Amino acid sequence: MSREVPRVLFANRRPGLTASLAEFERGGGYRGLRRAVAELSPAEVRRLVADSGLRGRGGAGFPTGVKWSFFPHDAPPDKYLVANCDEMEPGTYKDGELILADPHQLVEGLIVSAYALGANRATVFIRYDYERAACALERALAEAREAGYLGEHILGSDFSLEIHVHRSAGRYILGEETALLNGLEGRRPNPRLRPPFPAQKGLFGRPTNVQNVETLACVPHIVAHGPQWFRGLARTPEGAGTKLFGLSGHLERTECFELPIGTPLREIVEEWGGGVWRGRRFKACLPGGASTPFLDARALDVPMDFTALEKAGSRLGTAGVTVFDDRTCMLRVTHNLISFFARESCGFCTPCREGLPMVRECLARLEAGRGTLDDVDWLKEQVPRINLSFCALAQGAMGPLSSLLALFGDEVLDHVGRGRCPLGEG
Amino acid sequence: MPTLTIDGRTVSVPEGKTILEAAEAAGVRVPHFCWHRALGALGACRLCAVTVLDGPQKGVRMACLTPVQEGMRVSTLDESSWNMRRSVIEWLMANHPHDCPVCDEGGECQLQDMTVAGNHAVRRQRGRKRTFHNQDLGPFIEHEMNRCIACYRCVRTYRDYCGGDDFGVLGSRDRVYFGRFRPGRLLSPFSGNLVDVCPTGTLTDKTSRFRARPWDLEEASSVCPHCALGCAVIPGGRYRELLRVRADPRPQPNDGFLCDRGRFGYGYANRADRPRQARLEGRPGTLAEAVAALRERVEGIARQHGPEAVLLLGSARATVEANALLSLWARRLGAADPVFDLAARRDGAARIFARAAPALRATLADVRQADLTLVCGADPLAEGPLLALALRQAARRGAAVRVIDPRPVPLVCEAERLPLAPTLVPEALRFLAGGNGAGLSQEVLQPLAETKRLFDAARRPVVIGSAEGLGPDGVRALLALVAGASRPDRDAKAALLLPGPSSFACARLASAVPNAQDLRRRLGGGKIRAVVALEVDPLAEAPPAVTGVIEKAELFAALDYLPTATVGRANLFLPSAGPYEQDGAFCDFAGRLRAFARVLRPGTPILHTGKGNHPPRTFSPDVPGGDAAPAWEILAEILGISGGLSGARAEIEKAFSFLQGLAGLRADARDERVLPGGEPPAPPGAPAGPEPAGLRLLLSDPFVGWEPLSAHAAVLEVLRPEDAVYLNPAELARLGLAPGARARVEAQELSEIRVARAADLPPGLAWVVRRRGSALSRLPAGEVFACRVAREEGA
Amino acid sequence: MDVLDEKTLSELAARVRAYPYPREMVVDVLRAIQERRGWVSDEGVELAAQLLRISPLEVEEVATFYDKIYRRPVGRKVIHLCDSVCCFSRGGEDILKHLEKRLQITLGQTTPDGMFTLLPTCCLGACGQAPAMSVNLRLYGHLTPEAVDRILEEERREVSP
Ligand SMILES: Cc1cc2nc3c(=O)[nH]c(=O)nc-3n(C[C@H](O)[C@H](O)[C@H](O)COP(=O)(O)O)c2cc1C
Ligand code: SF4
Ligand code: SF4
Ligand code: FES
Ligand code: FES
Repeated sequence: MSREVPRVLFANRRPGLTASLAEFERGGGYRGLRRAVAELSPAEVRRLVADSGLRGRGGAGFPTGVKWSFFPHDAPPDKYLVANCDEMEPGTYKDGELILADPHQLVEGLIVSAYALGANRATVFIRYDYERAACALERALAEAREAGYLGEHILGSDFSLEIHVHRSAGRYILGEETALLNGLEGRRPNPRLRPPFPAQKGLFGRPTNVQNVETLACVPHIVAHGPQWFRGLARTPEGAGTKLFGLSGHLERTECFELPIGTPLREIVEEWGGGVWRGRRFKACLPGGASTPFLDARALDVPMDFTALEKAGSRLGTAGVTVFDDRTCMLRVTHNLISFFARESCGFCTPCREGLPMVRECLARLEAGRGTLDDVDWLKEQVPRINLSFCALAQGAMGPLSSLLALFGDEVLDHVGRGRCPLGEG
Repeated sequence: MPTLTIDGRTVSVPEGKTILEAAEAAGVRVPHFCWHRALGALGACRLCAVTVLDGPQKGVRMACLTPVQEGMRVSTLDESSWNMRRSVIEWLMANHPHDCPVCDEGGECQLQDMTVAGNHAVRRQRGRKRTFHNQDLGPFIEHEMNRCIACYRCVRTYRDYCGGDDFGVLGSRDRVYFGRFRPGRLLSPFSGNLVDVCPTGTLTDKTSRFRARPWDLEEASSVCPHCALGCAVIPGGRYRELLRVRADPRPQPNDGFLCDRGRFGYGYANRADRPRQARLEGRPGTLAEAVAALRERVEGIARQHGPEAVLLLGSARATVEANALLSLWARRLGAADPVFDLAARRDGAARIFARAAPALRATLADVRQADLTLVCGADPLAEGPLLALALRQAARRGAAVRVIDPRPVPLVCEAERLPLAPTLVPEALRFLAGGNGAGLSQEVLQPLAETKRLFDAARRPVVIGSAEGLGPDGVRALLALVAGASRPDRDAKAALLLPGPSSFACARLASAVPNAQDLRRRLGGGKIRAVVALEVDPLAEAPPAVTGVIEKAELFAALDYLPTATVGRANLFLPSAGPYEQDGAFCDFAGRLRAFARVLRPGTPILHTGKGNHPPRTFSPDVPGGDAAPAWEILAEILGISGGLSGARAEIEKAFSFLQGLAGLRADARDERVLPGGEPPAPPGAPAGPEPAGLRLLLSDPFVGWEPLSAHAAVLEVLRPEDAVYLNPAELARLGLAPGARARVEAQELSEIRVARAADLPPGLAWVVRRRGSALSRLPAGEVFACRVAREEGA
Repeated sequence: MDVLDEKTLSELAARVRAYPYPREMVVDVLRAIQERRGWVSDEGVELAAQLLRISPLEVEEVATFYDKIYRRPVGRKVIHLCDSVCCFSRGGEDILKHLEKRLQITLGQTTPDGMFTLLPTCCLGACGQAPAMSVNLRLYGHLTPEAVDRILEEERREVSP
């Protein structure tokens, strides 16, 4: 690869292989855990995480330290920690890569975070299609248990923890943390009303912290190397840490890379992604998964960081970067994305259940050249209204739709004007 | 109390209320589907969008989810929230059928109303509408899934509020489906509430399907006559036919919910075999003739043989007015008080409770808000179904529910059970009140002590019994328990389930001293020559010792609207009006007088007269089958009281001071008047005899099959329990009975064959659920009798 | 027709007893049934309900929510072809056409020999290997028509060598 980059989460990654406990330990694994249980109080671990500037890697980018400060760590057991590995947002595959490459990253992350939060039960929620990762994780859990990192009196301390693996059965909505909790309880996985927040009343009514896999994996490294080191990994002053970027779409190289937060989009596309495929030009990308607004070529120099991307009109999301070349019809792409969201709607609230299929039909008409200017106006009206959905799923769907209308409005109108797709067949 | 303005109106509401609730208080209607007063907010429909102009989070917000804040300024008229609401309607209508003319909800459909309110008149969508297959949900509820707007009210009602587990939401995305695992009858005894809560035509009343447009129905505020709880109902009818019953949506007393007995049990009124014509010695006549005959003959017999020769039978299902006038008649004749309840023990228990201090008497609202409930010797689902639902609401709020009863009493909430022989229940109550528990075994005392701790710690405990289950001794113990436990910081109350909608008033009209012995003496003396049965069926409800005398009476007169055995045998019959066919009042189990208004005039439904043809082809000035009159009117005529209902009520108030206020009650305002307490009842007569040795028989009532009105409603037939005799498995084995075997049950010279079934019962107890018409069912419920159960050979 | 074998049944029953909230095992139980029978029949739902001490309706509410619990019979192998944006933008639709041609069925159908059922799926988390599909729980990426032919051949051979 072109540049030297820090390797933290992917330090032990070898193509096609899963790192064993020995390999993980050789690379410095479980040092964070040792330090935490031997030298630090849970409050001190929480403090380190707060100081590190770590932000959630699951899509919303919420500061992890702040989230942990709401958690009633003093409450009596049971208190739960849940790792969210639903990872079903199109363009996102980093958590699966991480677990397959080095499952102990997650295991140590869970143990240290549970220690910090005072949680006594942890669950990894893993999607149906990640069976290989689930098996790798279960092997790693067995290894960790064997080595005394997990179970009763971890490393001889007072701290005990069990970690379960829950295999799901396929629905994007379970990634939403309250739907996930319903799923774990064996109920219909509709999102729950908030308040109460999971930290107050989560799994089985007990305090629960749901965290993304990658977020958790960062925690031991922060404990082992300190918050300043973590902040220093990023390429922007306000950023912190590295980030797993899953590249996809019209790039030459569609792989997952660990890169500093703040790496410019252009560098990701041109260097890490090997440039747009077939020698074509960059037209647009989804910078952070299917629910983030499109960026067009004007945004290529944006640093891939939470704040910078918000300023650019989009979000870092899950940092799954999907690139589209200059022969792509963005209306068609949006139609595909909306079809995804409509199909994945849990069916609970009206805007999502009924609104998204209507948007899908409207886009289908426009794409086929049978749309009207009224259809375009109608689409515009939908954005703020569907944004009033119960959970963030339908709001996520509005990301691409609103940016389609904002960035590629002319292309949409062209479909109406010509009665067909201006980009021809493809 | 934060103060805010909504559409310019200022309103103050308690902390924690939402904008939607504040708007209701301010008289501003915020459109909504998924929010429901009794179910609370859900956030699913997104229709309740309003604009917060000033407040912590400005912009369009969901009124049902947003808590009020001091100084908030809210608009429902602002364009952005108005647009949101329009879109919600557009989304919901995109797949909704446009066939309101053939939808039973049409005219009272909230979706229709919102579509008009949201100005949604032009369909912008193209393409096909989504369709579903419907399910057969049984005889009560019609299912038309295409009309569903997925507001989730039905599931929340059925599962959360009512505790059913066989109806729910299936599928997901734009194909969520509200129904059952397999087609079939909804099993909850509260299934009918789906009709009321569903805002669309998805779930409608099958018993009246396509019989009327809602605006053609004659409706009135009435009170449910199917038990003593007095739920507020709004029955509707057309063409002299009662067609449906819905719950009054107002919160009190029943929180807007009904049981299926009360909702679907109305068919008695429309029966083709309903007696609608007066009969004098087997000859048809007019009501006027029959009234004259009744007065002359009763007065004649009283004159000739003395007033002791007259036996007046009042009833729990007749109006308060009719029962009071019957009492007045007895006074005028110089005769003994009417007998209001032939089950002496139950009668005695009710008389005691009817004199308890009003503050001790729990209402349904008290039960819903209780923090501990004890159910002792009562079967709420059978004897007052909504009380079982109220118990569930208490349980949902965290109240513990404890059942002290020999039977596996079914409830719709979690409960802890303490099986106890029926005769020991009063002693258990005395123990809870601080007694020493004499006669209670150690294994009973331990859980009882735990219950006592709970009871002593509770701030709003309600103890529930039933008149037939507890008897006089038990009711005394019940009242002593709650009276002793009430303190300024603590509200202990008692509820007593009574057999019918006027039971409480009847028990008050009767003298304080139970006259069971007296009745036995009168019946035994061979003096009775005239019997008048006011809307009561002694032949089905009393044992042979009583019915033998009644049947032999020279005058056996009956007033009724049901085709009972008594009506069949009476030699003077007067057709009376059913409860929804008159103005009148009932008195609920907590002693509150509640007026109701007439829905329909009595008359043979056009369905029967014209075989469904309308208009009739022959004309007459009289309403066919329209001779029936309210029983109070018949009795007022006999007593020479004029002035219609108000005249009668004025006389009643004069004669019975505790019924003061009866005349002023308005049905539509749901007025109520609490009967005062009375002289504490005299100490018991002879104490209850010792428990019979050997196998004992206990009878109790089912949800459907005993209560007289619903027992005459054909549609409820499916809910009748099997004719079984339940024994504990060891007892069954001892008697050589396999479950399912035919067994002959004999007690008190009555006998019948029932199916033997195993149940979780104390040893030595045979338990039979009564069915109107069965021989054994003439024995009173709640008492225990020596009995014999033996295998019945042959087919 | 036994929905579950004795051993799995007793294992599940033991786990149910060990859990404070048996209901949380509903997805596990449904997956176990599916693993054995290929899909979850009505009897399967009823068995799960019995095991978990909830009503069949409550099981069905969950079973009908998840896409990868099959409440209708499927072939011995279920092909889930990703139709989400990364696969879609890298030729996923052509792969679909190819699969349909090869198997002579359309989406939602099962081959007459009962071998394959063809279903769409949303993103498989293999966006870097687009276009991708899964056959039962096995993932295949970088699909081309030739690769698809080979995969079908191998998957078929695995069942009937
Ligand atoms: C529709 C939807 C899908 C989501 N999917 C995921 C997911 O697959 N993985 C994840 O970590 N977070 C997902 N999230 C975000 C979670 O709700 C939650 O914010 C996150 O797990 C918190 O972890 P973090 O703070 O470490 O990011 C999703 C949110 C929504 C609304
Ligand atoms: S936006 Fe509404 S329907 Fe869509 S997934 Fe969230 S809660 Fe379900
Ligand atoms: S059936 Fe009626 S109550 Fe139930 S979700 Fe549909 S519209 Fe609402
Ligand atoms: S009433 Fe507020 S969201 Fe339905
Ligand atoms: S889009 Fe196909 S695997 Fe992610």
